[in-house]
Amino acid sequence: MVDRENAIEVRHITKMFRVYYDKGTELKDKVLFSKRNKYENRKVLDDISFSVKRGEAIGLVGKNGCGKSTTLKMLTRIIYPNSGEIEMNGRVSSLIELGAGFHPDMSGRENIYTNAAIFGLTKKEIDARLEDIIAFSELEEYIDNPVRTYSSGMYTRLAFSVAINVDADILLIDEILAVGDANFQAKCFNKLREIKANGTTIVIVSHSLGQIEQICDRSIWIKNGKIAAEGIPKNVHMEYLDYMNEERIEQEEKERVRLQRQEMKERIEREEKERIEKENEKKRKRYGSGDAKFTNVRILDKDGNPQTTFRTGDEMTLDLDYEVYKKVVDGVFGFGVFRNDGLWVYGTNTRIDRFDNFDIEENGNYKVKLSDISLIPGQYWVDVTIEWGDGHPVDYFKEALRFEVVSNIGDTGVYRMPHDWKLTIPVTNK
Amino acid sequence: MKQLVEIYDYRQMIISLVRKDLRGRYKGSILGFFWTFLNPLLQLCVFTLVFSVIMKASYEQYYLFLFVALVPWMFFASSVQDGSTSILRDKDMVKKIYFPREVLPIATVTSGFINMLLTFIVIFIVLIFSGRGINFLALLCLPVVMIVQYVLCLGIALIVASLTVYLRDLQYILGIFTMALQYMTPVMYGSDMVPDWALPIFNLNPLTPIIAIYRQILYYKQVPGLSSLVEAFVVGIIFIIIGEFLFKKLQKGFAENF
Repeated sequence: MVDRENAIEVRHITKMFRVYYDKGTELKDKVLFSKRNKYENRKVLDDISFSVKRGEAIGLVGKNGCGKSTTLKMLTRIIYPNSGEIEMNGRVSSLIELGAGFHPDMSGRENIYTNAAIFGLTKKEIDARLEDIIAFSELEEYIDNPVRTYSSGMYTRLAFSVAINVDADILLIDEILAVGDANFQAKCFNKLREIKANGTTIVIVSHSLGQIEQICDRSIWIKNGKIAAEGIPKNVHMEYLDYMNEERIEQEEKERVRLQRQEMKERIEREEKERIEKENEKKRKRYGSGDAKFTNVRILDKDGNPQTTFRTGDEMTLDLDYEVYKKVVDGVFGFGVFRNDGLWVYGTNTRIDRFDNFDIEENGNYKVKLSDISLIPGQYWVDVTIEWGDGHPVDYFKEALRFEVVSNIGDTGVYRMPHDWKLTIPVTNK
Repeated sequence: MKQLVEIYDYRQMIISLVRKDLRGRYKGSILGFFWTFLNPLLQLCVFTLVFSVIMKASYEQYYLFLFVALVPWMFFASSVQDGSTSILRDKDMVKKIYFPREVLPIATVTSGFINMLLTFIVIFIVLIFSGRGINFLALLCLPVVMIVQYVLCLGIALIVASLTVYLRDLQYILGIFTMALQYMTPVMYGSDMVPDWALPIFNLNPLTPIIAIYRQILYYKQVPGLSSLVEAFVVGIIFIIIGEFLFKKLQKGFAENF
């Protein structure tokens, strides 16, 4: 240890995985077909260093495949880094694979002994903890039944109880709090707090950022095998979520371009067929007298570029071109917003918004600027309409436009009500 | 040294693995654990029938001559064969959780060792009832040779267990190898039947002195010479040092090679 205060020191570790194209472990394969053993080295972790102080709790976050679970496995000493060093000080217990080594034919009690032995406890130590373990698992009535008769919830409860009662100096946890029902989860969480208060060092890997924020003093965000950010969980998570949203928007954009290209190609290839199909489609999704029709519909962002993904609170403009074949007397333009499950979020038209009466005589364009879409994340579609008189459809274009809303705030419902909190109790920022 | 302390800390795991193995060996059979004694006894009956009644061997009470050597041999053979698959057998545990991996071969060898000890109860009973008797002074040497053999078996088990993870063929190669080695070791015959020119080769085999000492103590009722015991012990220590060295190197890749 460089620093005596540290429980874990990770110094410049790099981990490579060999990805075999066609692996053989038999002698024949190794000798005769050495060419078959082609592999590719994939760098999962690239020169990572961090340390954890005694009694500190840290969270590892990052998207799938970023190497956070690999890091945890190396801390557990199941796998080893290609280069670099890991130093751990004290007894380690891991809540990674619960119930490893459980024997289905043995009773719960016997399995407590074998399972705790795997964590390096002696019989005396297990005897001393037996009552606690059984009580925590809430399996008093079933403890002498064979484990194969347990439900999966009982099984994990027992395994969790053993692992958490080991009294480790360092506790490694991978996505644990998905154990049992809500009550048991709350109990686990409290136990974890208690353990932390007793000075145990904790490392958690989780996608549940909220859990990490509640228990950890520090978060480490691993991105593409490197540490992207480190610090107070809330701040790191903000950055991380922002990045994830950016990436998602990028992905959407890519998807949109890909779809567009594909569509273009298909259109050229099967123009005729498409035309007929479109005609049918129109009949289903578009109806009305047809005296005037929408020709081109777009959603623009605040800079005037076509966009389909927005953040809650962004500005959005509907940009609609139409052609007129026959004069529409007493015309009304309208639009409606629907969530993708069909929930009608909002609808209005020029009549409702009290425009003077007008006739539609020439080809033209109209725009609707929505200066603040306070919608909760999800997918939405927009209907646009041209009508005359008291709601007679000229061109009712159903699902003319689609867009998606993303956000890094976890509020729920349909739309974000502007709100302010006023609390009388003092709020401390931990 | 640090490794030894850690393995000692995990003694409860070794105990529970050994217990599971011994209990599981005859699991599901009506006689259960009793087979541990019945099995060698029946084997002995067969030997008596074949070698004392049908094929007259040149050694007197040949069934005893054979049996006192065969039991330690079987311990060795099981250590090599079961030892080679000891890591693979529990790969789910190795993949999921940390413990000193040496625990697995140690438990396998220990379980074979205890099985041998239990079989020795049968041996003593037969020795007494056959009229051959026991030399108690010589018997004091028996635990020593047993420990020496345990050390040797463990050393070999560590080597084959770690290599087999990387080269699965080894477990089958070892099956043939132990069978061949049985004939290359004075188990079914005495060292006196080995021609003089071949003796150096036989003495290269670390099992030769160990088996000879077992036979000396139990069949010939003699106190074994110290030199052969020391020699066997040194070989055992060498094997265990090489074994641990190799195992330590190879164990880092276990979880990634299943």
